[in-house]
Amino acid sequence: MNKVGADKMISVYWFVILLLVAGGIFAMVYVFYHQPYDVRELEANIMINKVADCLSSNGMLNYELIKDAEFSKEFKTNFLKKCHFNFDVEEKWESTQYYIEINFYKIEDSEKSVFEISEGNKNLISSCETQEDKEYDLLAKCVEKRFYSLEGDNQYLIKILSVVRKTEKNAK
Amino acid sequence: MPNKKGQISDTMNWIIATIIIVVVLMLFVYASSVLSKTKVVSYKGPETKVDLLETKTSLAFLINDDNKNKIEQWIKDEK
Repeated sequence: MNKVGADKMISVYWFVILLLVAGGIFAMVYVFYHQPYDVRELEANIMINKVADCLSSNGMLNYELIKDAEFSKEFKTNFLKKCHFNFDVEEKWESTQYYIEINFYKIEDSEKSVFEISEGNKNLISSCETQEDKEYDLLAKCVEKRFYSLEGDNQYLIKILSVVRKTEKNAK
Repeated sequence: MPNKKGQISDTMNWIIATIIIVVVLMLFVYASSVLSKTKVVSYKGPETKVDLLETKTSLAFLINDDNKNKIEQWIKDEK
């Protein structure tokens, strides 16, 4: 009779252990998959590639960008349309979640920009300044890339800064 | 009396086993939370060997490579 009682107790223990292990596995899976994938850096890089493709092809600047030896203001005004960008975001965000800034430098002076195009939410730049020393997950991601292109005999250095926020969907 | 001693010893075994199981599970949950923080999709994976901007710069150098060192240095200075 006593042995039967002990066996019953052990069965209860086994059941408790089974529940514990099952709960543990559930917790592990939940914790791992609840964290979203952070694709902001990738998105910022893709945006830079798209901008670069729009500005230059085969080593030469886009013919629409420079007209009569001057940078086209019309191109600057209609940059999003000309480069086929759409900065609209889901309704959950009130402000634009992207920012793009392009600076053109002449080879003679690589410090002073001769032309600048910027679109999107300018407030996001503060995230880049904050993250110069250390990266913070909850701030917007900034990527800066540079390349070289030509217009006739003129050499141009181009710097593109791309910022993507969308923190709520990429980090917790 | 010897029966009671045996029961106590059995219970102790089970309690210790349960504690070990709980500790191991907690370690695994902590490990998965640490691993979940590494879920960043990076732009430069091992399979991406071609950089579009580098290609654009190289193409421009094929047309005009004056000041090549200066330009390359300027590009290297990017953040």
